[in-house]
Amino acid sequence: MLEVQNLRKEYGDLVAVDDISFELESGEFATLLGPSGCGKSTTLHSIAGLVEPTGGNMLLDGVDVTNKPPYERNVGLVFQSKALFPHMTVAENVSYGLRMNGFDEETIERRVSEYLELVEMETHATHQPDELSGGQQQRVSLARALAYEPEILLLDEPLTGLDRVLRERMRNEIIKIHDAVDVTTLYVTHDQQEALAMSDRVIVLSDGRVQQIAEPEKLYHRPENPFVAEFIGKSTQFSGSIESTDPTLLQNGARTVHVESPEATQGTEHTAYVRPESIEVTTEPDETAPNSFSGTVVHSEYLGNRTEMEVELSDGTVVDAVADAVPDVTNGDRVTVQFEPSEVIVL
Amino acid sequence: MFRSVPVVDTFRDRLPATIHVLFGIGFIALFLLLPIALLVINSLNFGGELLENYRIALSDVYLRAIFNSLFIAAVTTPILLLLAFFVSYFIIFQTERTRLMLGLVLLPMWIAYIIRYLGIQLFLYPNGPVVSVFDTNFGLLFSTAGVVLGLVSGFLPFAVLPIYNSLSGVDRDLIDASSVMGATRLSTIRHVMVPLSIPGFVTAGLLVFILSAGAFLAPDILGGPSDLMIANMIERSYSEIFDINLAAALAVIYTGILLTLLVAFNSYLNIGEVLSDV
Amino acid sequence: MTRPTPRIGHATVVLATVVYGILLIPILMVIATSFTAQPFPTLPKTIDLQWYGELMSDGQIHGTLITSFIVALVSSIIAAAIGIVSAFGFVRYEFPYKQTISTAMLLPLIISPIITGVAILQFTSRVGINTGYPTLILGHSVLVFPYAFLIIRSALSSFDSTLEDASVVMGATPAASFVNVTLPMIAPAVFSAVLVSFLVSFGEFTATQFLVSADATTVPVIIYTMMRTGVTPTITALATVLVVIMTLVGVISEAVN
Repeated sequence: MLEVQNLRKEYGDLVAVDDISFELESGEFATLLGPSGCGKSTTLHSIAGLVEPTGGNMLLDGVDVTNKPPYERNVGLVFQSKALFPHMTVAENVSYGLRMNGFDEETIERRVSEYLELVEMETHATHQPDELSGGQQQRVSLARALAYEPEILLLDEPLTGLDRVLRERMRNEIIKIHDAVDVTTLYVTHDQQEALAMSDRVIVLSDGRVQQIAEPEKLYHRPENPFVAEFIGKSTQFSGSIESTDPTLLQNGARTVHVESPEATQGTEHTAYVRPESIEVTTEPDETAPNSFSGTVVHSEYLGNRTEMEVELSDGTVVDAVADAVPDVTNGDRVTVQFEPSEVIVL
Repeated sequence: MFRSVPVVDTFRDRLPATIHVLFGIGFIALFLLLPIALLVINSLNFGGELLENYRIALSDVYLRAIFNSLFIAAVTTPILLLLAFFVSYFIIFQTERTRLMLGLVLLPMWIAYIIRYLGIQLFLYPNGPVVSVFDTNFGLLFSTAGVVLGLVSGFLPFAVLPIYNSLSGVDRDLIDASSVMGATRLSTIRHVMVPLSIPGFVTAGLLVFILSAGAFLAPDILGGPSDLMIANMIERSYSEIFDINLAAALAVIYTGILLTLLVAFNSYLNIGEVLSDV
Repeated sequence: MTRPTPRIGHATVVLATVVYGILLIPILMVIATSFTAQPFPTLPKTIDLQWYGELMSDGQIHGTLITSFIVALVSSIIAAAIGIVSAFGFVRYEFPYKQTISTAMLLPLIISPIITGVAILQFTSRVGINTGYPTLILGHSVLVFPYAFLIIRSALSSFDSTLEDASVVMGATPAASFVNVTLPMIAPAVFSAVLVSFLVSFGEFTATQFLVSADATTVPVIIYTMMRTGVTPTITALATVLVVIMTLVGVISEAVN
């Protein structure tokens, strides 16, 4: 449905978008994820037509829209600032796109109530935007973008400024609406939790370049490069060179880490990443475990449904671990961390 | 991040950017700059001595008028700044009916100068209230003092606006802090309010100086024969002596002095920014 | 935050009275003397409307009022129209010498109106434009333009342009966006700009004295002429009419804001 080919955007000396390419399937929910300055907003605005790219092409449903002005593409955009017209009522806002595209009165009325119902704002149809809360405004913004049934829906960090509880609720509502309408959706955020929870696929960006495009699970368990491995989720890292293969051993200083990596050859440098969930913190270590290192608990945070811990090993390396519910260790205790070679990510 | 990047290549700029600005500039260029340029050309005597008109413009009567203008403007400006500060302080801190009192200050701005100067004249006339009560008009009519009085009355609202804006923007917490630490009202004014209102003072001072130096009606209606200022001289050389060239030379000299002062001030404070906030 | 209770000393009251007096007495004088029964402007003992009667019967003054009105209206509309276009250019685009050009737009404010008046008169007579309505409208448009420009530019710069982005993405052309989104939102400022320009034009004298003709003159000019020949209460009556008109327009412009 959407094809972005080698998109590039320069602002003088600044390269906001270096070389971004990706494809979206019809009806898919994809997210552009990355830290500030990675080019995700610029990419989104380029697709909308508000930014003229320096290079590259964009195809919407097979049609090259690269040089088309925004009003000739058929996209919907939900702005970070909501951008509701203050001098129009909610209903007038939602009908705007329909009016501008020449729909007839009957269709306009029908679509407006249809989409207001979808976002559960039909009782506010005659209200002014400034009478609504942030969350309500965002919902109207969504209805407005969808009312003229665009080919693709773009959302630019729409949940910024909402409190955590509201964010989660709105997140679910957006997904529900997406499923109901089945529109191809491209979402922009810097919040990886959001990205992983909502998306069919995530496009991870950094410094204007694509780092990896994959389903959330694959990103988490099989990152393709150090940036993704470090950006997504927490991990403990062990760097070193491969001492031998089968069993594959990574020499991290004085420590030997057992990993499973078919591509690793002797002598090459790699970094091993271990997710907190893969680490077991125990006072009764399993003697047969291949990766078993002793250390001291230096930090322990009880978060209700889990406890996050930091264990300092003999050479100072700090291990991030997580345990179910209440642990039986506290700060200062000597423990052993253990993890399976198969759960180590090697890059 | 998107907004912090200079939005030079955004969609809007695909439209011809220059057309909009050309409109306004074109209008001013054609109907003001061009006439002024013609005026400058007029001031130069191409047939004979090139700067003859300037020589005349800078001699006796005219030179006196130029100095008079600068002198009167220099006297009027501090008076106006002082009064404007007082009024602003009064409205912000010493009265409950802020809007009313501010409105009364701004109301005269809507009324034409000529009417207000007429009123001053009537007030100070031989058969007016002042003379009937005090038997004298305190030398305020048809004198330099009268001109200053007129200018003060005429331009006070213009001085009040920027100073009021600056003063009311001073963080009240700072003023409270000053009082709590033991400063008297006067001290707080001197050490906190005035320094923090400097932008307002600068804008106001610039504005009223320019307005005063170029005033025509006040010296004409309320001044004596020796109180003529540049604007009066320009008018006379045009309509009484019919010497457009002399009028032009005077105009150029006046504008030159004004621009020099502005440029000198600009190095001290960016006027463009100040004007853009007016 | 508590407001300090106003502790007003005697000096303050006196000074405040003096300052407000300086501002308002001139206007009050004019209004008061228009009701006098005497043939010269003094404070009235009783209210006499004879001078207003004189005004009403003077056809020439009627014509002058109409001229002032037309000139003010036309020039303020012209100034506002050009002001909108120019303000747009300044707020939305970057271009070289922006600061200098911005100051140039405000030139009529900076240089004395006397120079503007003389310059325009010279120019129009050179180009063959007659004095009277043509020079008045042209001259006043130039004179009030800075006011309109400043007001509209201020409103435009605080206008959120993302709203226009939203509009074009939804399918409206830039022109349609301007009409449906931008214009309605800056309308109060535009209206205010027209009113302020109207006021400035209506009361303008210094430049106008060069731009009038025998057939078309403005109220401030005839007031000035009447002052030169001897002040009669008819002038003050006319001036009072002006005060009423200008106060009304001023109040409306404030209310709109």
